[in-house]
This record gives sequence, C-alpha cells and structure tokens, in this order.
Amino acid sequence: MNNSPAKEAAATCTYCHLPLGTVTVDTSAPAYCCLGCRLAAEVTGQSGQQGAAQWALARLGLAIFLSLNVMMFTMALWTQDLYDARGSGSGELAASLADLFRYLCLVLSLPVLFLLGGPLFESALAAGRKDVAAADLLILAGVIASYVYSAISVVRGAGHVYFEVGCAVLVMVTLGRWLEATGKLRTTAALEALEKLLPAQVRIVDATGTETLLPTGQLCVGHLLRVLPGERVATDGMLVRGRALIDQQVLTGESRPTAKSPGDELLGGTLNLDGDLLIEVRVPPAASSLAKVVELVRAARNSRGRYQRLADRVARAFLPAVVLIALTAFAYHWQRTGIDEGVLAGLAVLLIACPCALGLATPMAVWAALGAASRAGVLVRNGEALERLATIRAVRFDKTGTLTTGAPTIAVCAVANPNERSEVLSRARRLANGSTHIFSQSIVDYAGDGGLLTNSRRWPDPVVCTAPGRGVLAQFANDEAPTRLGSVRWLGEVGLKMPSAMGKVVAAAMERGDSVSALGWNGQVRGVFVFAESLRPGAGEALGDCAALGCDVAVLTGDHRARAAAIERDLGVSVVGELLPQDKVTALRAARDLHGPVAMVGDGINDAPALAASDLGIALGCGADVSRESAAICLATNDLALVPWTIALSRQTVRIVRQNLFWAFAYNTLGIALAAAGWLNPAWAAAAMVVSSSLVITNSLRLSGQLATPGQDDSESSMTSSASPVGEIEARADLDEALPHAVEAQLS
Amino acid sequence: MSELPLVFLGGLLGSAHCLGMCGGFAVMIGAPARSLRQNLARQIVYSVGRIFTYSVLGGALGYAGLRLADRLSGLINMQAALALVAGALLVAVGLVSAGLVPRKVIAASSQWLPWNRHAAHLGGAVTPGCLATGMLGTFLRAPGWGHVFLAGMLTGFLPCGLVYAFLALATSGGSPAAGMATMAAFGLGTVPLMVLTGGAAALVTPALRVRMLKVAAWCVVLTGIVSIARGVNAWELGPREAPPACPLCAENATAQEAVAP
Repeated sequence: MNNSPAKEAAATCTYCHLPLGTVTVDTSAPAYCCLGCRLAAEVTGQSGQQGAAQWALARLGLAIFLSLNVMMFTMALWTQDLYDARGSGSGELAASLADLFRYLCLVLSLPVLFLLGGPLFESALAAGRKDVAAADLLILAGVIASYVYSAISVVRGAGHVYFEVGCAVLVMVTLGRWLEATGKLRTTAALEALEKLLPAQVRIVDATGTETLLPTGQLCVGHLLRVLPGERVATDGMLVRGRALIDQQVLTGESRPTAKSPGDELLGGTLNLDGDLLIEVRVPPAASSLAKVVELVRAARNSRGRYQRLADRVARAFLPAVVLIALTAFAYHWQRTGIDEGVLAGLAVLLIACPCALGLATPMAVWAALGAASRAGVLVRNGEALERLATIRAVRFDKTGTLTTGAPTIAVCAVANPNERSEVLSRARRLANGSTHIFSQSIVDYAGDGGLLTNSRRWPDPVVCTAPGRGVLAQFANDEAPTRLGSVRWLGEVGLKMPSAMGKVVAAAMERGDSVSALGWNGQVRGVFVFAESLRPGAGEALGDCAALGCDVAVLTGDHRARAAAIERDLGVSVVGELLPQDKVTALRAARDLHGPVAMVGDGINDAPALAASDLGIALGCGADVSRESAAICLATNDLALVPWTIALSRQTVRIVRQNLFWAFAYNTLGIALAAAGWLNPAWAAAAMVVSSSLVITNSLRLSGQLATPGQDDSESSMTSSASPVGEIEARADLDEALPHAVEAQLS
Repeated sequence: MSELPLVFLGGLLGSAHCLGMCGGFAVMIGAPARSLRQNLARQIVYSVGRIFTYSVLGGALGYAGLRLADRLSGLINMQAALALVAGALLVAVGLVSAGLVPRKVIAASSQWLPWNRHAAHLGGAVTPGCLATGMLGTFLRAPGWGHVFLAGMLTGFLPCGLVYAFLALATSGGSPAAGMATMAAFGLGTVPLMVLTGGAAALVTPALRVRMLKVAAWCVVLTGIVSIARGVNAWELGPREAPPACPLCAENATAQEAVAP
C-alpha cells in the first residue's frame, strides 16, 4: 500500500464517511461501503435526483407492504393443518382457498424479488471485497432458488411454498444494511460537523479592491480574504485590517472570545463575532488548523488497533469459511431430505453469519469513541492509543504548566511604608505594562487599574525600558532616578536599600522556593512581590478521579524539595521534586516496573522527553497545535478533568469492544451450528442478523452519546454546538460578557 | 369475540395515550396538505396504513397464540392463561397511564433495562437509540399517497405499550382471524382522535388531553379486567381435554384428539 495520503483520505464511503478498507477506488465516483449506505444515500437524495430518492424509498416500503401480505396469506396456509386435524371446514372449499392463497403469495412476492433483490445484486457487483460480494450473491441465489422451488410447488399444486422466507430475507437484509448505515453515519457525525464549519465560498479582495467569490478550495497563500461578522475564517492567516472578537472554541476549547487586532494570527475554523476583517492567507485551507484536526481524527480512524487487527484476521478467514459451510449444509440437506431443505439450510447459514457483527464489533466502538473524544476536545492519534490508554495503571503529571497555570499569581505584596501602597501598585502596574515577562502580567492583574486613571492625569505615561534578565525601569516625572521593577539582586546592585522587614519576607520566600520581584525608587526598595504558582482549577479533583479509576497518581517536578512538599500538601498525592528531565524518565521506568503501563501528562513543551518515554503521552493545551508528536493524545484545552474522562472513555471503549466481539463470536458460532443443522428458518436467521447488528451498533453508539463530558456545559458541547446555528447564537451571547474586556484592551 | 366493541372503545379512548408520540406524526402528515379536505384524506390514508400493520401483527400473534394453545393444550389451558396475561398487561398499562403507579416504581423498574442502568451509571441521557427513526421521518415528510400509507404502515411498528397490551389480547384470541379483528378494532378506535389531532391540532387543548388521557386509561383497565374475567372463566371450565398421561405423547394426543371448539 503506497497510497498517497490524499488518496487514502478519499477512500471513504460517500454516505457514512467511514474508511472503505483496503479497496482502492476511483475518487470521482461515489463509493459506498455497503448496500445500506447506497440505499440510504439514494433515499436522502445525497446522490441523484429527487425522483430517484423517492423511488428508492417507495421501493422499500412497497416491498415491506407486499411481504406483510405474503406473511398473512402464508399464516392462513399454516393454520390449515390444524383445521384439517380438527376436521372442520368443508375439505374442498378449504383446498381451493389454500390454492388461491398460494397463487396470491406467488403474485405478491415476485415484485419483492425485483424491488429488493435488484439493488442487492447491483451492490454485490460493485462491492470492493470479493468475499462480501460472493456471500451477497449466494444469499440472492438462495432466495431465488426458494422462489423457483415454491413457484413450481404452486403450479404443481403440491409441495411446500417458501415465498414468505424469500420476502422476509430480502426485507430483513435490506433493513439491516440500512440500520448499519445509519449507525455508521452517526459515529462520524461529530467529525463531519467539524469539517462543515469551513465556509464553502470565500470573499477575495484583489489589489484594486474588488471582491470576488471563490470556492474555499481554490484559496491560495497570499490571497486577501474578507471575513464579515458571523462568518468563519476559512484558513489560517494574518489579520491585515480590522479588529474583532474571535471565538476560537472549536480549536482551543476556550469559550471566551479573544480580541484580535492587525498583525495577529487568525486560525482557520474560528468564528469572527463582530468585525469586518481583511486577512492575508498564510496557508492553503487544506493545511489550516481545523483541517489538521480533522485530518488527525480521520487518520486515527483509518489506523487499526489490536482488537481490530484481530477481528480483521478472523473476518478474512471467516467469510470463505461461511460460504463453505453454507454450501456443505446445502449439499448435505439436499441429499438427506430434499433440495428445498438444502437451500433453506444454506441460506440460513449465510444469513446468520453475514454481514457479520464480527466485522462491525471493533470499528464501530472505536469510531464512536474517537468521535466522542474529538467532540470533547480530546484528539487521539489512533485507535491503538485508545486501547493502550485503557491498560494504563499509573499516571504521572508534570507540574509546571500542567497542574499549575503558566502564569503565577502574587501571593504576598509587602510595602515598606503602608501609606505608599497605592503609589507602589500604580508604579508597578505602569512598569509591568511595558514588559512581556510572565511576572509582569501577574503584577498588572494584581494591581488592577486602581488609581491608574487618577494618577495618569498627574503623570503622562513613562517610557519603559527593559534591562534584559534583570527587570524594567522608567523615569517618572518628579524623580531624580528611574523607578526599577525587577529582581531583588538587580535592585541591590544599583544601590537601592532593602528595609529589614522586607528583607525577612524575601528570605522566607526564597526558603520556600518562591520567586520574588522588587520595586524601588529614590534609593530605597519600596515594595516586594512574592509569586506563587496557582494550581489549575480542578487539578485536585482530576488527580483524585484518576486515583479513583485505580491508577497510581504522582507528580514529577524539577522544583525545589520544599516546594514539592508544599504541593504534596495541597494536592494530596505524592510529589517527587528536584528531578532533571532524565530523572523524570527514570522515575517513569520505576513506576512502570512497580505498577504497569504509565501515562505521562504534560504540556508537551518542556517535558517532551518524559512524554515520549512513557507508555502513553497526554499533552495539555494543544489548541490548534495538534501535531505535537511526543503525545499520542492531545487535549485541546487545559482542562485536567479530561484526563480521567479520557481514561474512563478508553476503558469503556475496550469493554464495549470486548462485549461486541464476545457477542459476535458466540452468536455466529451458535447460529451457524444451528443453521447448518437445518434447525433455523432463514426468515428467523435474517431477523436475528438484524437484531445482532443492531445490538452491536447500539452498544457502540453508547460511547458517542452517553458519556457525560466533564466540565461546564459549554466545554461539553464546544465542538458540536458551534456547528449549529444555536451554537453561533450562544457564541454571540458570550459577546456581551466579553465586551468590557475588549473596551479595556482598547483603552490600554 | 364479545369484547370487540370494547376493544374499539379501548382504542378510541386509549388513543389519547398515543397523542404524545403519534400525534406529532399526524401533524407532520397533515403539514404538506393544501386544504382541510386533503389533510383529512391524508390522515385517513395514514390511519389505514397503521391499521394494516396492526392487523398483520394481530394476525401473526393470533397465529402464534393458536400454535401455542395447540402445542400446550394438553398441559395447561393456554387460551385462559393468555387471556389472563393480556388482561394483566392491559390493567398495568392502564394504571400507569392513569398515573396510579407511583413514579418511583416506574423509575425503579426501568432501572432494569440495560441501557437505562448504564445511562444512570454515567449520568447521561436515557435514550434507547432508535436507528430506524430516520427512515420513518423520510416517509412522513414525503408527499404522495403511497408514502403516506407507508408512513402509517411503519408507524404501526413503533414501540407502544398500548399496542403491545392489545397485541397480548390478540394472542389470546385463538386464531389469526380473531387476532386481526381485535387489532383492526383497536386501530379503528384510534382513528377519530388521530384524524382530529392531525386535522385540527388546535381543537385538542392540553387540558382536554389530560382529561381524555384519564378516561382512556380507565377504559384500558376495563378492557383488561374483562379479559381477566374471561381468562378466569375459561380456566375454571378447565382444559377441554383430559391431560394425557405422559407429556412426551402430548403432541400426538392433541393432534388426534383435539376437537373443534
């Protein structure tokens, strides 16, 4: 198989969008994986005209109607022996009535053969897999044989008739395939909804300013794209003109819109809430962030896990074996009792085994789980990763950026003179505003805008200079020396004196391993900020949930031992401190020896070696950057609750796969044995087949619908709801909430 | 078939029970109609489709009841037993829809359904996912008389406690013809209200619906009681044939000795 990726991606069923398997197809023509998909596509009018759709539908309905009539007449025939035995009714009348009923059955059931047998024949011819086609054709042959036998019986006026069997088999096979197609379509619904987010047409502005509409596929790098409020950005690009709030929920899971201004990067698939934007296209739509997500999930779907390979291997031997058993049963019963019994036994064998629940057992469950995961913002690289996650017995968390937010908060703000406090905060904010250091952001957040507006009347905004690695400084109007904000050591070096009370605060913080910044002017340190990392909301619960799932949970960090002990108290799980990156790898190996397979949860940036060394890497906060290679599972958000959720999902998936496989094996073994022995009427076998595959499908679909996603409602429905108009309205409702932030951003 | 009028009545009043589910379909069926006349015609064709399915199901179960009675008549009085079961089922359905069975009991018993148990465990929604709804929806929306009939036919297969209860009654009827008659009577009974709902949805106010639902429930209970009475009566008469000495010979014995009722 050296297919190009594009060709492989195209090898999916036109209706249910699931991989067609090993078949190579002509990508231009619609291709269907089964009769059900072909039929359902015809009926829903996705391919072909309205008239054809209605005809396909009417064909099925008509066939059901005729079959029900055949059933009734057959049942009347079946009661004949009872009445005969009871000696009731005049014999001659009953006999002629029975004859009439048999003719009626013949007349009513012939159209069914043409209505449903025809499509079955066509789809068998078009089927990519020869063994499937052979089985379908044999079913058809069996049905036709039962028709011919029955017709001869009717004309001769003696012998059994099996019209009801033929009708039931055709109706059940068609219905069963249809149900399968519906089920399969549902497993892919989440992903297709994602893909449909991208607009079909885009507005291009050329150098002269004229706008033209272009299909999204023809968008090239360098094009200028105009995106109106309420539209989605078609591909990644740079904002050239306009400002807007952008809803990036689809990619980052962040429900609060982000303000974007010229020069910012915009991601494909994100929603422009309120601005008229001009965007310079940076990557073609096929390589945009959203396309990458879709491609990843699709690739995951195409990959085959352990269970699926097992099912494939069995299925490869299974169908030929079934055909062989069917032919043997036919020959045996023909020899023993008659050709009609032979045909019935062979037909029953084929029906009970085909289309085997076996083939659906694994992929349905895995596809449904992958869909559910992608909807929750969890991108699983392949089905095997999902299966592997289910076996995980220990989870190790990285600390910085994973359990803690990247941005520290201010734990202590000490000032030399209590009366100076607002002055300290005001100056600190002004200085911090001019710096991009992560501590600066914390100071700005902490200081708020208290006093800023009143003071700004007194002082114009100072020019802030950066002293790399040390801090920032600025000259305020009435001071002889600049005000400095930075490390304690830097302030000491430039001769600012540290009051002893504040010196104690600094010493205590250093002891704990916390970071400190100081602010000073006019020869003295006036304020000290002690930073603390804040744990992500829900970090404790997420760790507890992982432990509740039976996993051994621990945190690995490079932090000071004292700091590790403090976190251990906060979280209630063991925290191993002072680990260098290679020590983390060793710790993972030790955990594997002690507990079994280990998953490592990190942000995928500074802990890539540990992620790669674990049995399964889970990266947090990937957002649009889903291609982080070190992790097999990427969480779009920083929501730690998704970690235990995904573990639970994977275990549930494997449980359902096992249930499905067990059911399929047991059902097929028992069913084929009964059918080969001639104890199973083909009509019942066909009904059992429908029930069996419905069971497998419904069992699998539990994964896509019923696992409650953790976190708030908006994160639960982040990906699907955005696809619907309701989602767009909700996103707009968020706008009111976000507006104050935008105003603030523009003011500053 | 003394209870056919009662079955009709059960259907007539019991159909208030179905307005929740099938009422919506009736409205959908009426939607494409351009005039009231056309709407009524569509409703009737739709109902004929439903009655067709009900009758077929009734016939099939009547046949099953007949076979069962024939097989087991030497052992137990099958007719009577089936009548008792059907009666109990009707009474149960009636009481549930009359609101006399506490919700707790319903919730507790529905816990035993595997999908519900699972859903409760995960805290998710309770939806026994029906894969066939898409197909029915397609028929319901399609124009043309044939499609309306087919939509009715498929509606007849929808799971419904009331239909099942009456199907149990059809099983106890003793012949396919009796089963068909029972279900046809039931189906005919459901026509007036369904046509009314589809034709003039506004006429059936929620308050009226609640009142009808109560009456319907008691009517179903009454049908059940009559069925039970019939079963008890038949049971007391005893099996018409003396039980054979050995169960293994039962089939032979019944085949030879069974006489017309």
